[in-house]
Amino acid sequence: MNGLMLVARREIVTQVRTKGFVIGLLVTVLLVAAVSFLPMIMGGDSYTLGTVNSQQLPLRQAAPDTEFEWRTFPDEEAAKQAVLDGDVDAVLVDNTRVLTDGEIDSELGVLMQSVNREVKLGAAGVNIPPLQVQSVGADAQYEGARTGIAVVLVLVLFMLLMGQVTMVAMGVVEEKGSRIVEILLSSLRPWQLLGGKVAGLGVVGLINMVAILAAGLLAASASGLAADFPPGIAGLVAGVLVWFVLGYVFFATLSAALASLVSRQEEVNTVLTPLTMTVMLTYFVSFYITTDPTGTLATVMSFVPPFSSMVMPVRMAATEVPLWQVGVSMAAMLLAVAVVLAIGAKVYARAVLRTGARLKLTDVLRAK
Amino acid sequence: MLEISDLRKRFAGGPDAPEGKVALDGISFTVRPGEMFGFVGANGAGKTTTMRIVMGVLQADSGEVSWQGRPLGYDDRRRFGYMPEERGLYQKMKVTEQIEYFGRLQGLSAQAAKKSATDLIERLGLVERRNDAVQALSLGNQQRVQLAVALVHDPAVLVLDEPFSGLDPIAVDTLATALQERCRGGVPVIFSSHQLELVERLCDSVGIVSAGRMVATGTVADLRGVESNTLRIVVRDPAPGWSDGLPGTVTVRGDRHILQTADVDDQEVLRRAMKAGHVEYFGVEQPTLTEIFKEAVA
Repeated sequence: MNGLMLVARREIVTQVRTKGFVIGLLVTVLLVAAVSFLPMIMGGDSYTLGTVNSQQLPLRQAAPDTEFEWRTFPDEEAAKQAVLDGDVDAVLVDNTRVLTDGEIDSELGVLMQSVNREVKLGAAGVNIPPLQVQSVGADAQYEGARTGIAVVLVLVLFMLLMGQVTMVAMGVVEEKGSRIVEILLSSLRPWQLLGGKVAGLGVVGLINMVAILAAGLLAASASGLAADFPPGIAGLVAGVLVWFVLGYVFFATLSAALASLVSRQEEVNTVLTPLTMTVMLTYFVSFYITTDPTGTLATVMSFVPPFSSMVMPVRMAATEVPLWQVGVSMAAMLLAVAVVLAIGAKVYARAVLRTGARLKLTDVLRAK
Repeated sequence: MLEISDLRKRFAGGPDAPEGKVALDGISFTVRPGEMFGFVGANGAGKTTTMRIVMGVLQADSGEVSWQGRPLGYDDRRRFGYMPEERGLYQKMKVTEQIEYFGRLQGLSAQAAKKSATDLIERLGLVERRNDAVQALSLGNQQRVQLAVALVHDPAVLVLDEPFSGLDPIAVDTLATALQERCRGGVPVIFSSHQLELVERLCDSVGIVSAGRMVATGTVADLRGVESNTLRIVVRDPAPGWSDGLPGTVTVRGDRHILQTADVDDQEVLRRAMKAGHVEYFGVEQPTLTEIFKEAVA
């Protein structure tokens, strides 16, 4: 175990010190933070309005999330000029007309019309109670935020998984190709070396993951986006981390086993192709599922390892998933991880000292 | 004492050589504590394969390696120092960190690894390079780091595959001194080399492998003893016909006659030569290791 820890520690220290790691981490953290502020920046839900000889409409009551700034103009001429200069979006004149530059922003138009109607009717003594909106879906209230979180999640999971899994493969080939492995294996068991590498690079991935999640959550609460988050976000974060670890161990072990078949860095891409395709497929399926998280495909794929490692967290983010489904899916994934660990460790141990031409997986498995 | 007995290894054949290739065909030798054993042989003779089997990197088909009278196991091997044929270092890791890391892997505490690394860096002349990445070092310096990695845990046995290849004479001396120190401390050292003068100078005993078999083992003196010793005399301006009746060959170079002969009464030959002319050289020619080697593998 001590040997495994030493190997893992070296991997972590080596990775964390590289410029690539630091820059990559900063960039992703900034990106995630930026995404959290995006609705606020792009929202555009703020209007500047003017009045000429009119009462301000109580628009805030109808649209509490939108900002309205009012200006008063002395006459219509000044108001027209302000509209043409783009200083104001619309000007209410004499409580009857609205001046705009071209067509009015549709949302603003609807809002002004309906509030105006309400004000006039209220003045006439007619009181209309507002319509009560009632969702019959699980919690449609958070659907937008949920989908957003799911989309970001898929991307982050995919990037990290792909990055770390490739690192594992390159590390294995570096050691095999340069024969460092011969020295290492005179003082380590193959499983210690493999386990240490996978664990070490996994920790690096987790550091990334935690940093990204933390940046996302912090930025979201700073930007006010967090108010839209569904309840149980902490559970979701924990779930994502667990699923990331499971998916990572699965793919990283396979990656190490495949990489141990070749001796040169140039061959890594070729030998990893089936694995890369599977990760890509998982990514595409998960991405599709963000658009239809309650569909049959989503439900089925969230049980099939290794797809479940990415599909399930996306489903969990995008919609409510019954606990038993999460449990069954996780059990299946754990089983798959155990199988991959057993086979992967065997392939690695047999292949990593056989330098030279690329080995065939079937030959390695068959050899005594 | 490290005993290698009757190692056999056949590599599986490929499509072009379906019957495979016999790499080792019964290799046996012994290295005693404090003995430096030189392993020589043509390329592909089986030196590297033997060393890899000793280090457990490769499995022999049959035969045994034993250490202190017991079959060599994983825990014993952790106390061995190994330098593989193709150099294995992390190119981007710094010299000190690298040596310490391998020390830790071989069971040293963090403190002990640090101390040992510092000592070796000083002894192998790497002080100015200690914070450089390995990839920035010259071949000679990389080789020093590689040796430091093999020595860091104060190994009980040293197995070095071509430790001197590609080094300049000064680097060779540094490495040789470091090895001799360990050897004097009672550590058996096995190394392979194509630099036979070096092997001759450093090694207490030598093993010559050819085609997977040990064709000769013993001290350099022992190996010489097997060969017939040649008497060589150089006489300037001798009287004609002075060497008539003597076995061997006479080469004439200008006014010098060079006689190479064996199995004769050397004193009688010397007397004849002195009578015939001016004797410039008289001596027993000992075959060099190179000659012994060529003879043995022929």
